[in-house]
Amino acid sequence: MTTNPDLAPELTPADYPLSVHRPELLHTPTGKTLDDLTMAAVVAGDITSEDLRISPETLALQGQLAAAAGRRQLAENFQRASEMTTIPDAEVLEMYNSLRPNASTAAQLEEIASKLENTYSATTCAALVREAAQVYAARNLLAEEESPVAPLAPQEA
Amino acid sequence: MTAVAPRAEGTGASLTTSKRTDVLENRPVNLDGFVEEWPEKGLVAMESDFDPQPSVRVEDGRIVELDGRTRDQFDFMDTFIADHAIDVDTCESAMATESVEIARMLVDPRTSRADVVAVGRSLTPAKILDVVKLMNVVEIMMGIQKTRSRRTPANQAHSTSAKDNPIQVAADAAEGAVRGFAELETTLGVVRYAPLVAIGLQVGGQVGRGGVLTQCALEEATELDLGMRGITAYAETISIYGTESVFVDGDDTPWSKAFLASAYASRGIKMRFTSGTGSEVQMGNAEGRSMLYLEIRCILMAKGAGVQGLQNGSISCIGVPGAVPGGIRAVAAENLVASWMDLECASGNDQSFSHSAMRRTSRLLPQMLPGTDFVCSGYSAVPNKDNMFAGSNLDTDDYDDWNTIQRDMQVDGGLRHVREDVILQVRNKAARAMQALFVELDLPPITDEEVEAATYANSSDDYPDRDVLADLEGARSVMERGITGIDLVRFLERAGFGDVAENYLQVLRQRVSGDLLQTAAVLTGDFTPLAAINDANDYAGPGTGYRLTGERWEELKKLRHVTSAENPEEEVV
Repeated sequence: MTTNPDLAPELTPADYPLSVHRPELLHTPTGKTLDDLTMAAVVAGDITSEDLRISPETLALQGQLAAAAGRRQLAENFQRASEMTTIPDAEVLEMYNSLRPNASTAAQLEEIASKLENTYSATTCAALVREAAQVYAARNLLAEEESPVAPLAPQEA
Repeated sequence: MTAVAPRAEGTGASLTTSKRTDVLENRPVNLDGFVEEWPEKGLVAMESDFDPQPSVRVEDGRIVELDGRTRDQFDFMDTFIADHAIDVDTCESAMATESVEIARMLVDPRTSRADVVAVGRSLTPAKILDVVKLMNVVEIMMGIQKTRSRRTPANQAHSTSAKDNPIQVAADAAEGAVRGFAELETTLGVVRYAPLVAIGLQVGGQVGRGGVLTQCALEEATELDLGMRGITAYAETISIYGTESVFVDGDDTPWSKAFLASAYASRGIKMRFTSGTGSEVQMGNAEGRSMLYLEIRCILMAKGAGVQGLQNGSISCIGVPGAVPGGIRAVAAENLVASWMDLECASGNDQSFSHSAMRRTSRLLPQMLPGTDFVCSGYSAVPNKDNMFAGSNLDTDDYDDWNTIQRDMQVDGGLRHVREDVILQVRNKAARAMQALFVELDLPPITDEEVEAATYANSSDDYPDRDVLADLEGARSVMERGITGIDLVRFLERAGFGDVAENYLQVLRQRVSGDLLQTAAVLTGDFTPLAAINDANDYAGPGTGYRLTGERWEELKKLRHVTSAENPEEEVV
């Protein structure tokens, strides 16, 4: 797997934890800082669940730290995660279920990969799905093309 | 028909065994199950002629042969490991190193953790097995001491209830947290109770010690849902398996699980996978490989997926390796390999294992003495009869024994003795916080009688029964109303539990920073993330690494009863 140039280390392990050493780099997807997430703001109803999410930029920073600590795969996971931040919860779950064995046809997996790529600019996630489709084809783990309805199981006596 | 000769009843003329044998027959260890090895079926710990020989071949920057199989023969585990886990550039040279040389690197303190981890990144499963097969259990412990990722060891608890009583779960979570557990885990008898029990765990945990992390073990999709809502803080029950057939039986693949790992990280939620020796043979398809070989494949799959950690050490299948020769050595070896592969390791000791107290203790020493990221991936912080994970190797009855072993050996197993008044105070406060929260959430009321019971209880027997149907209706409405962690924080604050609300909010804020996503991260009492970056294990022989000294050692010298040196009539408080 190639190294993403976006993950070129700028942060060093000394910057961890970011919440303590580099809070100025952190913001929520809604544009709030860590300092904005106070009890007063919660009580006033100014904080919602949307304000307690991680941003793609923060995941990229954590990816830098992971790479600097020699954890290539963890950094790659954070890269996929940063792409996934904009995908709605329900759709993430749906995509996960589609990746289960014998759950999708090759065409369905390609549709997911295209959507990841075109709708969410999630290119490394799309690559993972395409890789899965290839392996599933080789290992006979794709759903049958033409029979979406499973035959009824025989009734127990 | 029985396979053994009947035992003589009573004494006298019919005696066919010695009196000593009678005594031994009645020892608890003889209630345990033991079985001969059957390597052809994978019923063998780690020494099997049916395991493959190590090999690797690279062509055009791609692994084309792995442990005797060429790419066209790869199953999906081989493919995933070859393409994601192993460093291709260095694997041929690393594989050429003698296994005994690598085993020595694991043991020898003059080889740094970084160096031995770097070699490990380039090895195949069969080579890793070949290395650890050379190590006896003391050498395995030496390896764990050096390779565990976080410098400071910690511990994890189960807090569950045989009646799924959320007040009990809250009170026991509070006590567990104040006793020192860094993570708390729950699960359910009746799954529909999950929201209320998960809330109990979170609230109780934050009463006991701010910054404790909680999880609720459920089916993958539901577990993720509770995490996304901020009702739980992390996840662990993401099972992986060492053969393709069993993985598929579990309705997953390495790619679906890798996708799930990224999904958790994309919500800022800490997560680790779960695997363990014996699961494949227990699920009936070990493909003729030893338990440890298959577990090493799981560990490499987890590494390839980029998940930060792994719960392993046989876990719920401990009866399988526990029954065969060398099985508990193999379990220690799997913890070593997870640590060596630079993953957070929550190291088992979390399932009922033996009727023998001696055996239960000897089983935990290979993790407790060297220290792991979580010595138990589930010490039962409730009596085992309330443990909905089917019982743990340790439970609440063992608290004082655990604390005494820590003091005897001067090792930090993550717990401490806590004075009775403190325990009663946090149990009571956890129950009152739940009482107030249930009012805010318009859930079936928690009576003062229940609060009183929670303060002094041992087990679920000590609580008044709740109206289960009403609670389940309430649990459903919590989900339907879309209640989130931030709502719970607001309600706790409004109900007068501002400090608990503040602790909970601090845990939720961690999602924004992503600091808990790094390897082996936990939160200290002042909400500082402690991970294998800012608390990297620096063990390099005697006098280095984590040492139980100073304030923490003074804390662990305390037990329930310690006689004063100055006045033998008094006990130290």
